[in-house]
Amino acid sequence: MPESRGAVLRRDELSDLLASVAAGDRRALASVYDRTSAKLFGVCVRITRDHSAAEDILQQVYIKVWDKAERFERDLASPITWLCAIARNTAIDWVRKHAAARPLPFDPDTAHDSEAMSALEALSEHDSRTAIFDCLEALPPNQQKAIRLAFFDGSSHSELAHILKVPLGTTKSWIRRGLLQLRGCLQND
Amino acid sequence: MTSALTPELDAMAGELALGVLEGEARAKALRMVLANPEFAARVAMWQQRLEPLGSAFSEVSPPAVWRAIEAELDARERNKGVSSLRLWRGSALVSGAIAASLAAVMVLTPPQQATVPPVSMPAATTAIAQLSGEGDVVLAAEFDTRQQLITIRAVTLPSSKLVPELWVLDGAGVPRSLGLIRAGGTTSVTVPDDVRPLLVDGAILAVSLETAEGAPHASPSSTPIATGKIFAI
Repeated sequence: MPESRGAVLRRDELSDLLASVAAGDRRALASVYDRTSAKLFGVCVRITRDHSAAEDILQQVYIKVWDKAERFERDLASPITWLCAIARNTAIDWVRKHAAARPLPFDPDTAHDSEAMSALEALSEHDSRTAIFDCLEALPPNQQKAIRLAFFDGSSHSELAHILKVPLGTTKSWIRRGLLQLRGCLQND
Repeated sequence: MTSALTPELDAMAGELALGVLEGEARAKALRMVLANPEFAARVAMWQQRLEPLGSAFSEVSPPAVWRAIEAELDARERNKGVSSLRLWRGSALVSGAIAASLAAVMVLTPPQQATVPPVSMPAATTAIAQLSGEGDVVLAAEFDTRQQLITIRAVTLPSSKLVPELWVLDGAGVPRSLGLIRAGGTTSVTVPDDVRPLLVDGAILAVSLETAEGAPHASPSSTPIATGKIFAI
């Protein structure tokens, strides 16, 4: 699906801003923050399920952006998903260190799935839809669900077993097979 | 010597990138990132593959943390004056040549010590190391081989509720804890007997951020924020 002109413009502007951040421009970082903090806070809250932790993590994320901006390659990555990856990794790092403190995730058969689905559906009309969404939807339902919970909710192997009510070995094999199939699908794309 | 990763390691790289690993499995994978560049590259590849999914995260009205971010950047700028290189240069301990090579050290592979027996630096009584990482993260360490005492100073560390923990990597790249160190100022660390043989010339020290409880930990729970080689002088 071709990207709309507006989306290309937004993407280029954000890439330009990251280039300025890499050069040490504090005001460019402020602009990146203004444009992306709602999105990145969304990532932090979704993964941690803890607003005050997500606040701390959001700060760390922009400090990391300041440090890492020079590694952003605008020809290889989208600026917003590159930023989301920094937020997601930082949040997962926190969650794995504070495993006991995290409340259980949503019921996958109600709130979670409908939310994830609507986000994905909304995206299908969105300009930045990429091959991985088609590949994810092509996975068998169990593998798809496990990978979605892992990616969007930061669920670990044992949390997946608990949420999906299957033995640990089963979730591990769903994840492994799902990842392999995703890779195959993306390579064939 | 580029051997392909085993299917097990290949799968582990994907699982680490996805984030599903926990506990010892996660610690093992994080150690592997440090010790095995091929594995690290595979993890990065998986991260790149999965990254576009991030566009599906919903926005949430964010708290106002911009000022806190600015304050932290300001604090880091103020600390820049005490940069590690200047510290070492100012020290009578180190020659200019060593200072220059120290500044260049950023090691991601374990020391090669397959055939050399780990004799702990017979001639030298002092060894030094500079540990550096992303951004301005720098620690300076001195090792007194007679007293088996490491004196380590955190020059610049990211502000965190977690506590820095010092590690030495054995020949296989597996970290052994030397305990928690202070995030600001100097800490003296007595090296336990069983860790002494690891502190050879060229050995790698690393610092990661950990929770205070349970320290010293059996293994780090996250990637190191700084690493550096020990040099006998």
